[in-house]
Amino acid sequence: MTAREIRSPRVERGLAIAAVIAGALAAVAGTPTRPARGTVNVTELARVVEQEEDHVTAVELATWIRDGKAGLRVLDIRSDSEFVEFHVPGAARVPLAEIARMPLDSAATYVLYSEGGTHAAQAWFLLRARGVERVYFLRGGLYEWLEQVMNPRVTANAPQAERDSIRALTLWFGGKMEIVDTPSVLDGKLALPHSVGTREAIRKVRRRAC
Amino acid sequence: MAPFYELGRFGDGMSLVVAVLLGIAFGWFLERGGMGNARKLAGQFYFTDLSVLKLMFSAILTAMLGLFWLTWAGLLDLSRIYVPETFLAPQIVGGLVFGVGFATGGLCPGTSCVAAATGRKDGWALIAGMLVGVFVFGEAFPAISVFADSTARGAWTLPQALGLSYGVVVGIIVAAALGVFAGAEWLERHAERPAQPTDVTV
Repeated sequence: MTAREIRSPRVERGLAIAAVIAGALAAVAGTPTRPARGTVNVTELARVVEQEEDHVTAVELATWIRDGKAGLRVLDIRSDSEFVEFHVPGAARVPLAEIARMPLDSAATYVLYSEGGTHAAQAWFLLRARGVERVYFLRGGLYEWLEQVMNPRVTANAPQAERDSIRALTLWFGGKMEIVDTPSVLDGKLALPHSVGTREAIRKVRRRAC
Repeated sequence: MAPFYELGRFGDGMSLVVAVLLGIAFGWFLERGGMGNARKLAGQFYFTDLSVLKLMFSAILTAMLGLFWLTWAGLLDLSRIYVPETFLAPQIVGGLVFGVGFATGGLCPGTSCVAAATGRKDGWALIAGMLVGVFVFGEAFPAISVFADSTARGAWTLPQALGLSYGVVVGIIVAAALGVFAGAEWLERHAERPAQPTDVTV
């Protein structure tokens, strides 16, 4: 070949040895990412859960969003496609894996939600383990949001003030309140889906995941 | 913490400046390694000069060890590194097409730019051919999209495919690379003697 070949066996041997050492150590190290560790105060967490200070209701969350609660950060931990289809206004999508390592804002109040409530509760635990104090999850998940905020069902004999406040909140989010004669089975707190709109919405949500 | 662009340390403008500098450095070192020379590159297919194999494998080794240990040191977020998606069957076919072009022209896309930059006319011819190929592929894509999107595996890495930890895969690839380097040098020594222009057989 015409190209000049400048070779140094010494350098080559040195590089080969360095590569062997780095490769062998890598095999021993196993994984390059070191686990993110956190500690929890188990007693304190048990108390928080027992006192029901770990979650918010959909109506509470809706009120926080409407009133522009300072530092509120709503995190949606469902998949990207689910998020694109529907999400709570102002929410940011954060995959569960990201919860474990995302930079934290000490001034923020985090509210987590998932489709039901389980993943959000698990993410809540992860954030508590990372030392976040102001973190809550939406107890009934997106179902509760759809039922209680977007399509609430209020009995005709409910106090006028309650009906007005629910209607105002629902309208603010573009939902529709329904007035019915009979109280719902679960006393309106975490009602089963009834209105056609809600049932349809939940059916769509369920079909997407599971 | 890297990657700087992904984590917002570099803006769009800065990332372009860095890309230009890295691109020039890439071309410079390819040329210095003789990779702008189609004869040298074609030598790979006759086992007389396996510089390309050694150079590419060295680059893979360097990048792999760098990524592993920078991540281990907490200086790099490996999950933010883009992993091109795998489409098994179309990429095998594409690799064969690429190989035919490489063996025929004696240059690959990167080295054709290097060859063109140093004034080699075959480099310019290959760049023209590459652009024609890009155009034809783009125009033909609707017709072949079913095949092109088939056997999708997503961002598929060796640790996933082999069910091994990253570190073990790194160790295996380092060992394999050193074996390949030794084998390549042996081949070069033994293929060189009969490799006169008149009696080259493929």
